[in-house]
Amino acid sequence: MGDSSAPIVIEGLTKRLGRDVLAVNSLDLVVERGQIVGLAGPNGAGKSVTLKILLGLVRPTSGRVELFGERVHPGAKVLGRVGALVDGPGFVPHLSGRENLRLALRMTRSSEPMADLERAIEIAGLGDAIDRPFKTYSHGMRYRLGLAQALLGTPDLLLLDEPTTGLDPAHIREIRDVIAAIAANGATVVFSSHLLSEVEHICTHAAIMRHGRLIASGLVSELRGEGSLEDAYLRLVGGETPADGARSRSRMSVEG
Amino acid sequence: MIRIELAKQWRRPRTLLTFAALASFTLALTAALASSGGNQFQRVGDIPLFIVPDHSGISIPVIALASTMKFFLPLAVAVFAGESVAGEAGWGSLRYALARPVSRTRYLFSKLVVALGFSIAAVMLVPLAALLAGTIAFGWHPLTAIDGSATTAVHSTIVTFAGGAALIRLGIGTAYVAAGMVSIFAFAFLLSTLTSRPFAAVAGGVGLTIVSRVLNADYLPGVAVLNHWMPNNDVDLWQHFFQDPYQTTGMSHFLVLQLIYAAAFLSIAWWWFERKDILT
Repeated sequence: MGDSSAPIVIEGLTKRLGRDVLAVNSLDLVVERGQIVGLAGPNGAGKSVTLKILLGLVRPTSGRVELFGERVHPGAKVLGRVGALVDGPGFVPHLSGRENLRLALRMTRSSEPMADLERAIEIAGLGDAIDRPFKTYSHGMRYRLGLAQALLGTPDLLLLDEPTTGLDPAHIREIRDVIAAIAANGATVVFSSHLLSEVEHICTHAAIMRHGRLIASGLVSELRGEGSLEDAYLRLVGGETPADGARSRSRMSVEG
Repeated sequence: MIRIELAKQWRRPRTLLTFAALASFTLALTAALASSGGNQFQRVGDIPLFIVPDHSGISIPVIALASTMKFFLPLAVAVFAGESVAGEAGWGSLRYALARPVSRTRYLFSKLVVALGFSIAAVMLVPLAALLAGTIAFGWHPLTAIDGSATTAVHSTIVTFAGGAALIRLGIGTAYVAAGMVSIFAFAFLLSTLTSRPFAAVAGGVGLTIVSRVLNADYLPGVAVLNHWMPNNDVDLWQHFFQDPYQTTGMSHFLVLQLIYAAAFLSIAWWWFERKDILT
């Protein structure tokens, strides 16, 4: 398989929001089949906007974005091969988890809808709560339903934006296992996180963004070098001009 | 996709509440008229039309439609139109609906059809519920009306409509009121594509109704020039159908105006939605 059919090819991607905010700035990134890529960086680095551009939700100001060799635009056919969880789960509050998944499935035109629905319900692992209205769900239950929706129809590419936010360790472990299982089946996964230990644990590759730019990318083992990924990250993010560095350090402390 | 949209919307508490409120309004109206109607001619709406409520069940839908067309029905319509896209954005499900191989135009169209269907249903519900309640309360009798515009101190024009004739006029009147909601619907729908706060879109639709009310020559003679260009002011002209002979002056102007407003608001909504960055 050549570059042209790689799950993700991003070239010179720039997104301007408002007059002088460059949410994404000349980003180049190629993700190959079967990789699990961690997208790291402080809040406002442009991770989430990048994922939304990949989903056809946000139009790039300039640059080229392709999924499996197909140009991305709103409603592009190739989006049928992509599952996503971005900016947290979003469901119809008065319908049950099961009904929400069923409606989502009807939008995706699946070849074996019943089997897909049952599999998704199993992944959600909500037990009897699957038939309760979504609005009664706890934070963790919502995220699990969101992940189940992202996995509907067995996507070839999974885009997850902070999928473990606010979950307890047991759920994080479950989600990690689900991601590993999906990747083992040949799917490609990109997930953003500001928890570097998480990226280190799950990902084969990492891409680190800051101020809309890609500042490092490659194999996790290479990026890490002798120390931890966190050390490498701080070295990268801290190593700019003094003024920038001061700002980034204050941001990092906000990150926690 | 329309069926998916319908499945999301019809069991919404807000949808059911809106319909329930409209239906109970007609019931309350019937009950009030039954206790105080008192065998007297009463003025209906802003034009000089007088009927005796408790002489015929058919008078109730006429009164109900006249008393809901200027605020209650525009509010209901603004709720359905304003909630449609913005409601989904507020739930956070809009981004998931649009991150699929689905054309935004088709998606918006399904929203439009369902919200429009609910709005028409709301307008129809008022005379239907009122007709049912009125007929049970006051029986099925011919409708007697006084045409105040042709009435002088010595001579009053009393017209009587047989049940069937009154129903036909009521049906046409209802269709006219429904058509008269189109501009407010389209405006709230446009706002719904612009904001992710459904309340703002609903409030905008209601706001347009209020602007229309305020810039009305009946209250502000100085704005007479605007009177017939406002989106909601001439919605009451259908009441002339209960005069004999009836006059249709101004109706076609009003209906064309609705079409112009709807075309303008909806095409901006479509144009914008096709280009919009879905950031929430």
